[in-house]
Amino acid sequence: MKPIEEQTYYEILEVTPNATAKEIQQAYERVRETFNDDSVAIYSLYSEGEIKKIQAAIEEAYHVLLEEALRTGPSSSHVQMADRQKWEKTSEIETGPTEHAEIRETRPTPMPRATAKEIQALTGIEDYHGKTLKQIRERMGIELEAVSAETKVSLKILQSIEEEAFDKLPALVYLKGFLRSYAQSLGLDAARVIEGYLRGVNEHNKR
Amino acid sequence: MSLDRKTIWAIGGGKGGSGKSFITANLGICLSQLGVRVILIDADLGGANLHTLLGISPSSISLSDFIKKRVAHLQDALIPTAIPNLQLLTGAQDLLNASEAKAVQRHKLLRSIKQLDSDYILVDLGAGNALSVLDFFLMSDGGILVVTPEPTSIENTYRFLKSAFYRRLRQCVSSYGVKNLIDAVSDQKNEMGIRNPQELIEAAKRIDKEDTDKIIAEVESFRPNLILNQVRTKKDIEIGFSVRSACKKYFGIHLHYLGYIPYDQEVAHSIRRRRPLMLENPRSRAAQCVSEISSKLADGHPLSLRLSKTPPGGSLAP
Repeated sequence: MKPIEEQTYYEILEVTPNATAKEIQQAYERVRETFNDDSVAIYSLYSEGEIKKIQAAIEEAYHVLLEEALRTGPSSSHVQMADRQKWEKTSEIETGPTEHAEIRETRPTPMPRATAKEIQALTGIEDYHGKTLKQIRERMGIELEAVSAETKVSLKILQSIEEEAFDKLPALVYLKGFLRSYAQSLGLDAARVIEGYLRGVNEHNKR
Repeated sequence: MSLDRKTIWAIGGGKGGSGKSFITANLGICLSQLGVRVILIDADLGGANLHTLLGISPSSISLSDFIKKRVAHLQDALIPTAIPNLQLLTGAQDLLNASEAKAVQRHKLLRSIKQLDSDYILVDLGAGNALSVLDFFLMSDGGILVVTPEPTSIENTYRFLKSAFYRRLRQCVSSYGVKNLIDAVSDQKNEMGIRNPQELIEAAKRIDKEDTDKIIAEVESFRPNLILNQVRTKKDIEIGFSVRSACKKYFGIHLHYLGYIPYDQEVAHSIRRRRPLMLENPRSRAAQCVSEISSKLADGHPLSLRLSKTPPGGSLAP
């Protein structure tokens, strides 16, 4: 039993890590119904403040997981776009206005998001420096906090990776693991990311 | 003899009028029709009426005869019903304060119930959070909460569940410090500022590691069941899932949603006629849902239990 702040997004929405966008949407509607202000099912169980916290956590979990699912989903890009628009529309209508505004504020890029593979193809990236990883992540509109929550890699380490603060990085064997999680969470080819990034580390060490 | 194989289900849920007795009586009939031996116990001390639901007149012998030592063994206080395989232990008719029975009496009664010879024992609990009710609920193999989709019923159910939850935790820990914490959390305005199970665990961690592990293990193994009664709409059915979800988030416990029973005029009719619904109108929607729930209860337990009751070379009960 963990406080809501420590639960993973999957626990909050009660879905498995490989849930599809549709399952996430359904799960979201279910928990949102359960924890809405007038829900009979939680009557007398929580204080007002506790409910607000849970509601905020549900919104956050939904947005992060849905994006993740749409990005890595097996459907072709055409279907995916149509799906995404549909989902975004429904969430637009159904989410309470104030909470929604808050969520929006924390999302930096409202512009249409490219997938990692598209970006890779566009830029022809071969070497994955910290800066390139950061760029790709920002282009996809994913917060570092979300990567951290999903990969369980601490925010500090992720920042060090992006800033190429080599002296703060962990031992090689751990670094490889972290890079793999990070790459996978963005939908990048993990082997290429590790190889490219470590090449940069080696060059730095030679100097 | 299958003394150690019997299953005790306690049907509770905090609020009066939610249908506990109706459900107990009809689940008991369903199970007995499967060919297993069932004992129904009316533990609604002070408000007993399970016998009425079964169409039996107030009995001359009841639980109070056992509590007052007029019969030596609980087995002797059982009365037969019109249904094969089904016996009844009627509740105390006269003990106004029976729900506040002394600890010694409570423990003796619980022990005796566990020693009764039967396949299934269904205990119909009274309303409220009296210690006797909580102990019945906790000693059973499965506690069943009967809830109706109304705020009043939900509120009492959570109150009941909190009491049972904390009582169970208190029984498993050994250090006084943690026991005090648990006593404190039952009082919402406690000075330590502990208001929910999560804060309790956090506070317990600072006092006693071993007890904290015990608490976590107890939370994991506490698996009450839920029946949603008097359901009128599809949305009402969903409330059962929502309660399950809320229990997971608030208590960290796995609540099992056994099923729902629709609001059905036939229920009221059958009660007025003092004829159990399962016999009076087994095709009604409510009866069919009760029947489904009873097969879930029977399924959770090895078929061998039923097979072992079959006489050698005999056929399975109808």
